[in-house]
Formats: sequence, C-alpha cells, structure tokens
Amino acid sequence: MKNENKLKGRDLINIGIYSAIYFVILFAVAMLGMIPIFLPLLSVLVPILGGIPFMLFLTKVKKPGMIFIMAMIMGILMLLTGMGPWPLLTCAIAGVLAEICFKSGEYKSAKKAVLCYGLFSMWIFGNYLPLFTDYEGYFAQRADYGQAYIDAVSKLMPLWMAPVLLAACFVCGLLGGLLGRAILKKHFEKAGLA
Amino acid sequence: MAYSSAQAQEKRRGFLDPRTKLALVLVLAVFVMGGLGGGQLRQIKTVLSALPFLLLLAERQWSRFAKGLAILAIGYGLLLAMPYLPGVLNYIALMCGGILTRFVVTVVMGEYLVATTSVSEFISAMERLHMPQTITIPMSVMFRLFPTIGSEWRSIRRAMAMRGIHLGGVKGGQVLEYQLVPMMTSTVRIGEELSASALTRGLGAPVRRTNICRIGFRAQDFVLLAGCLFVIAVWILELGGVKLW
Repeated sequence: MKNENKLKGRDLINIGIYSAIYFVILFAVAMLGMIPIFLPLLSVLVPILGGIPFMLFLTKVKKPGMIFIMAMIMGILMLLTGMGPWPLLTCAIAGVLAEICFKSGEYKSAKKAVLCYGLFSMWIFGNYLPLFTDYEGYFAQRADYGQAYIDAVSKLMPLWMAPVLLAACFVCGLLGGLLGRAILKKHFEKAGLA
Repeated sequence: MAYSSAQAQEKRRGFLDPRTKLALVLVLAVFVMGGLGGGQLRQIKTVLSALPFLLLLAERQWSRFAKGLAILAIGYGLLLAMPYLPGVLNYIALMCGGILTRFVVTVVMGEYLVATTSVSEFISAMERLHMPQTITIPMSVMFRLFPTIGSEWRSIRRAMAMRGIHLGGVKGGQVLEYQLVPMMTSTVRIGEELSASALTRGLGAPVRRTNICRIGFRAQDFVLLAGCLFVIAVWILELGGVKLW
C-alpha cells in the first residue's frame, strides 16, 4: 500500500503545471493591488479566480501530499517575489488543513473539494500579515509609493480588518470552489481533461 | 577525447552557477524589492540594483538589457516629472514610478535566471543543494511553463478579440470564461506532453538520474556569493544596532 501512495514523476509534474497556472492568474490579479482600493479586494478576487485551476488540479490529486507541496511552492514564490517570509508560514498551515480536509473525502468528494479550496485560500492572508503585525515597517518599505498611497491603504486597513480578510479568503475560496466546479462541468469534462 | 555533447555543454556553460543566481535572486527580492533593512543598506542597494544589468551584459543578452534599461528610464522619468504634474496625475506618476523602479531590478534578475539557466542545469544544481525532488520537479516544470502560458494567453486574447470578446467589449464574466478556459486547456495539454517527454527521459525513475551539465563554482561565483553574505552580515549588524558608517 505504501508504495502506491508515493508521489511519482507524473504527480510532481502535475503539481508544477497547475501551480504555474494558479500563479499566473494570481500574479495578474495581484498587479491590481497597486491601486489602494483593490488591496483588500485581492482576498476576494484571487480565491474566486484561482478556484478554476485549483478545482481542475484536485481532479488529479489522488495521493497525500500534493496539495501541501503546491501550498509550499506558493510560499516559496511569494518569498521570491518580495512578500517576505510570512506567506511561508500561512502556506504550511493552510496546506496541511486543506490536505486533511480533502483526504477525509478520500480524494473524490466534491463537497470536500470545495471546502478544501476554501481552506487552501487562507494562505493568501499571509501576504497581509505584515500590515497588522509590523505596521511601521510595512510602510517604511513602501515609502517610495508616495504618501497618498500610504494614507489610502492605512485608511482601508484598520486592525479589525485582519479577521475580516481571513474570513473573506475562506468564504471567497468556497465561492471560487463552486465557480471552479461549475466551469469544470461545463468545459473541462467535455474536453476530457477532468 | 571528450564526447562531442560534453564539449557542447562546456561551451554553453553560463557565466554563473545556478546556485549563485538563485542566491542573488533571493537577496535582491528580500532587500531591494522587499525593502528590508534601513538607511545603512541604501548605498549597498544601489550597487545591488546595478548587478542584474551587468550580468545581462556579461551573458550578451542585449535585448533584455535594453528592455530593462528602458523600463528603468521610464520609472525614473516619471519620478522626475512628478512634481510638475497637476493633481491626480502627480499621484499616478509617483505610484507608477515607485513601482517600476522598485520591481524592475528583481524582474530583470528573474529574467536573467530564466533566460540563462536550462532546466537540466537547474535540476542538477538543486540536486547538489540536496533539495528534495518533490520541490524541484514542480518548480522546474513551472519555470518551463511560464513563457508558454504567456504566449498561449497572448494568442488566445488575440483570437478572442477578433470575435469581439475583450475587456470593455462584453461582460467581464464572459471574458473570464472565454479567455481563461482555453488558456488552461491548452496549458494542461502542453503540460501533459511535457510530462510524457520527461518521463521517457527518466524523470522520477527509481534510480538516480545523471546529468551531463557542467556546473560548479568558479571565481565569479565566489565573489558574488561573498557579496550576498556581506549584505546579510551588514543587515544583521544593523539589527544589532551596530553603525558601520
């Protein structure tokens, strides 16, 4: 049994393919975050749009560890794109939770898949964490964006936004999961990909 | 006599070891783009920012060099023009300038890494770092796919715009459906072919894979790695409250 659960080359390549698609979508959306009003909205847009590739990814997940590896890769990429070390931590936590959740559905339950994506989406919160834990430092780093940007962001991001953002990630993750499933049914199953 | 392919590898060998490139990307991402560190690091950061451009020159990547330089010029141009612009334009110029000058260095470094490192070089470097395959294989697949996804997306956008499906033309939801879905479909198909080809070449086989790539540290690697260590050391000293100058 143990051997069957080991990740093989094909599984690892699949992780790479879907992480790449997910990251491209994430990156395209994250560029909007430069406009202050969109910064909190990222926790809405990214989970919803990312749901499409993630749901497709889950149809290929049959072994433990794949979701966790994808989460860790996202963490490493965030580190490389200058978001600091916090996302690594949230990625690890969200990855484990999502993994456990999808495993409890024996890697095929559709409801668990949606819930799994909701949990997975919570890693995005890690990108906001420095805003709340190290407020001064966060803006000292972004001083060259101009005072107007800083004012706008600090007005949008009072401390009580922290739990709201976390919840938004989760709820929008669920919505994104549902959207992903709908698209999966409409397009990818027909095309023979799912 | 060496095998001809081994000779070819020696000729194609890059200026730097992939591990050095990765260390540089990390340091640039954390210190220049992430903005870690205070006043003392400011001069060092200026030197660091010039580094990717020099490396592109060293590898004779003229067009990438020119592109990076152009973006940098636009960024600084905006920052310089900023005080003379009225109201909202002023704000927009400041933001765009700030973003461009901040991102371009790391983006150029990333481009340098992707353009000058082959997948086999990357994998063999990672093997020597003892990174587990579970991380290196997905990562190398990703870096191989990014340009593919980009070009696929561009051509799909063009095809869809011909049918009147573009931002501003029809509803956002439709744009999403008719651009994202084909993009993902074709990427997944390309990825499947990629994985078939990689598996026939023994990726993920139970035995240890060998590699004819020549990587290894040379003088320039040691110099740059020492530079990275120096930056980190200055930062730690600064955290400890030591003033160097």
